Amino acid sequence: MKRTIIIFVVAALMLTSLIMWALNSHIGDNIQEILMIGGGLILVGFAIYIGVTRARNSMRNEPPVDELSKKIMTKASSLSFYISIYWLLFLMYVSDRVPWETHTMLGAGILGMAIIFFGSWLWVKFYGFRHE
Amino acid sequence: MNNRIKELRARFDLSQLDLARKVGVRRETIVFLEKGKYNPSLKLAYDISKVFKLSIEEVFIFDEVV
Repeated sequence: MKRTIIIFVVAALMLTSLIMWALNSHIGDNIQEILMIGGGLILVGFAIYIGVTRARNSMRNEPPVDELSKKIMTKASSLSFYISIYWLLFLMYVSDRVPWETHTMLGAGILGMAIIFFGSWLWVKFYGFRHE
Repeated sequence: MNNRIKELRARFDLSQLDLARKVGVRRETIVFLEKGKYNPSLKLAYDISKVFKLSIEEVFIFDEVV
């Protein structure tokens, strides 16, 4: 239950930061900021989904994690690591052509990796482990 | 690998949640198993077979590779 609370706290902090970011910037003018805030909102949604699922499991007296959830996390992590290498390679390619600031590049890298993890998790969760 | 979990669950009048509780996993794991999206560990396969009072081979149907 403690971990579930931590998930909700992190999601709330991230959501607050995103709202403050959106309010303090001219979000309508900058497509880059819209993409980053959109990506952040996707991750907040993901965190809330995980938190709600865990809370529901604990209310049903089911274990919060079991062998399937561990395997999904392991598989999603390895898949997202593999894809992230290509993402970082793409960013290196872009950085030679687009004059982005260092913090923007770092933000895009971290946010992109988080979204890749979310995508990998979705893929593993819905496709399963048919051939393993 | 296929399995007869759904059929046996109906025969024993167990819901997915009942079976999940008996073997100590989440209901989602039973859903994955029934859909053939996940192959269980040997321990989980043993525990499920034990609930149905059958051997592992009678619950899980292995595809012959060799």
